[in-house]
Amino acid sequence: MSLTQTEMLDGRVIARHPPKYFAHGVTAVWTRRLIVLGALVLWEIWTRLAGNSELIAPPSSIVRALFSDILSDAAIRGAIMLTLFEVVSAYALAIVVGLAMGLAIGSTNLSRRSLFPVVLLLYAIPQVILLPLFTLGFGIGPAAKIAFGFSHGVFPILVNVVAGMRNVNPLYLKAARSMGARRSDIIRNVTFPHMVASFFTGLRLSMTMTLLGVILAELYVSTAGVGYFTKLFAETFDPAPLFALIGTLAIMAIGLNEIVRAVERRFTRWKDWAP
Amino acid sequence: MKETSPLPARAIQLGFLASLMAAWFIIGRTGAISPLFVPPMEAVWRAFIALVQTDQFWSAVATTLRTIGEAYGIAVTSGVLIGYLVTRSRFLTQVLEPIVSGFFAIPITLFFPLFILLFGIGPASKVAYGAAYGFFPIALNTIAGLAGVNRNYLNAARSMGLSSFGTFRHVLFPAAFPVILTGLRIGFFICFASVLGGETISSVSGVGRNIALAAELMEPARMYAWIVVVIATALALNTLVSMVENRMRLY
Amino acid sequence: MNLAHPSPKAALAGSSVAISVRNVTQRYGEPGAPHTVLALDNVSLDIRRGEFLCLLGPSGCGKSTLLNIIGGLIAPTEGAVTVDDAVVEGPLPDKIAFVFQESTLFPWYNVAENFGINFKYRGVARSEWRDRTILALKSVGMAEFIDHYPGQLSVGMRQRVNLARGLSAGTEILLMDEPFAALDEQSRMVLGEDLSILLAEAGKTIIFVTHSLAEAVFLSDRIALMTARPGRIKAIIDVGEPHPRMPGFMLQPRFSELRNQCYAALHDEIRQAMVAAESWGKAEL
Repeated sequence: MSLTQTEMLDGRVIARHPPKYFAHGVTAVWTRRLIVLGALVLWEIWTRLAGNSELIAPPSSIVRALFSDILSDAAIRGAIMLTLFEVVSAYALAIVVGLAMGLAIGSTNLSRRSLFPVVLLLYAIPQVILLPLFTLGFGIGPAAKIAFGFSHGVFPILVNVVAGMRNVNPLYLKAARSMGARRSDIIRNVTFPHMVASFFTGLRLSMTMTLLGVILAELYVSTAGVGYFTKLFAETFDPAPLFALIGTLAIMAIGLNEIVRAVERRFTRWKDWAP
Repeated sequence: MKETSPLPARAIQLGFLASLMAAWFIIGRTGAISPLFVPPMEAVWRAFIALVQTDQFWSAVATTLRTIGEAYGIAVTSGVLIGYLVTRSRFLTQVLEPIVSGFFAIPITLFFPLFILLFGIGPASKVAYGAAYGFFPIALNTIAGLAGVNRNYLNAARSMGLSSFGTFRHVLFPAAFPVILTGLRIGFFICFASVLGGETISSVSGVGRNIALAAELMEPARMYAWIVVVIATALALNTLVSMVENRMRLY
Repeated sequence: MNLAHPSPKAALAGSSVAISVRNVTQRYGEPGAPHTVLALDNVSLDIRRGEFLCLLGPSGCGKSTLLNIIGGLIAPTEGAVTVDDAVVEGPLPDKIAFVFQESTLFPWYNVAENFGINFKYRGVARSEWRDRTILALKSVGMAEFIDHYPGQLSVGMRQRVNLARGLSAGTEILLMDEPFAALDEQSRMVLGEDLSILLAEAGKTIIFVTHSLAEAVFLSDRIALMTARPGRIKAIIDVGEPHPRMPGFMLQPRFSELRNQCYAALHDEIRQAMVAAESWGKAEL
């Protein structure tokens, strides 16, 4: 039920804009913030009183460790930046290759019906078991991580591009034909924009998958990079900097996700208004 | 629209597979790619035969299966239970669901070192990690399924005088079931992949560990044999699940 | 035509009142909050036993809300509804049955099971279920589909079964919320005729919500015309034609007169509701 403010004006009823915050919704938002805050407070109190200082650190120590151990250490900072670089490179590669291959596979009915099932089958394999293979082939430097991130991130783009070329609402095609459009016009003005929308939707999932791939690779190769430091902190039972490092990477992941989401929103605004 | 036969597509798929095998064979013969990276086909085949006869193989498989099973069990129980409890009140759903889905937006893989810290490098950490990862799609889908039941069904149930248990049994559960089932399916494959991943990255036993070990010991043929086993299992599971889903009555 | 008062004929007729709506007001939003919605404003209405009353009004006028309040699914903010002189405080499965707009046949049960659920919680003996189901289905011509699933039936067929399920409950009162809204006009006309015949035999008290002027005139004894939001009873029109209604009724001049009366009374309300809806739509963009 859409809730609006109504007013009696000269006996006639007029309606105004829907209010930005409806009381019920506002309560929910604040309750949520309270719960998160409460959880942090409980965490702090519990770890200080009863927790094992070798396993879990209180949030305050984590924040301190963030500045004293993580952000101040050039080596760790470098490792984080390297990870960021790997993610962005893998992502860019995934987009280019995914788009190209997707357009190729989706272009004809035959190529789609023959090759798409192969793609989907590959998508179903848990790629993580190939990680040791990647390091055998690419070494233990950034190349392996970029390659692994790429192999994760390329699939959502590929799949979405092919699907986007396929699933155009037949009514739109009918409308275009009735206006006298030729096949090339239809591809240009109906299929392609539709595919672009699908492509942008795939961008977000691809970022998530690319992140996953790079992180897995980093964790596996524990001789350098963030994997080395996480292993170090875990083995020396130093939870505060470990939490802090993971927290930093999490914030980086969320940041990247938000950027992609903003880009997606900018280019697919029309979808909110579409029937 | 004329019926297009599946034959040309199948032919191309078989051709694709055939050319892959041929390429592998040629690489093995000519050594164009380092045998460390792509061992010859016969070497992999021999390694595979040898592998499945060892006790080590079967105990590793057992360990991994048990780990996946435990992780999935925990994920399902906690996910469905919490999902159910959250949807008991509309307010609670509004408050808690964004927290859960927001948390899932962070790659849980990042937290893997924490699990190692807390649970050590034995199977326990993989059980916890797999359970934690698999919990999310199950809980979120349970919430979505139960909260998304068409109000008209609930109104009809009330007007007929159904008790709250009756409403759950005859309306809520059947209506939410397809969505919950999807969550269970996704949760399973996430448990499967995350346990394998955890074993590969840091473990003492299990399939993943063996793959990593084979790489460390520079035994690519054995590694490929293991990989083939896992891929075959994954594809078989996938096909099985698809078949079951197609068979089930869709409403 | 009296404004907002029950027809004098009803008062004189001396027939007992089955449902009494007294000063029902429905407000959404927390008390004291700046943004509240007044859905129904001081609605009072008496529904006589055995009569067919239509609630007719523009979109958003609160007619479905009023129906849900009468049926005990929603509690009114102010005022009360009494059924057989007892205040309604919740659903009354032994007295009231609903027929909703979309088919609320549960898609995971087949037709027989759907009827079974309906019977079970209204306390009907299990031994009677099959027979009563078949009887009800026969009256809407759907007896052969007793073991089908709703997904296997067309929309029209589903609604017929839905209708039969509502009737089969054996309750004295039937509340119907735009049951034919999802059907095309031709199906509506035919089903309307069937419904009229069915109800003439059954002698139930019926409140029927609809948008359709023709449907209201064709089916009801009295029509309660509602204003745009906040909903009030603007007028009550007496149709005064005996049941069952014949298709020929629609051709009589009296039918058009009544229909035009309704339209004249509702015209301004409909316009108002459209304007209101437009401004909501614009604000959301």
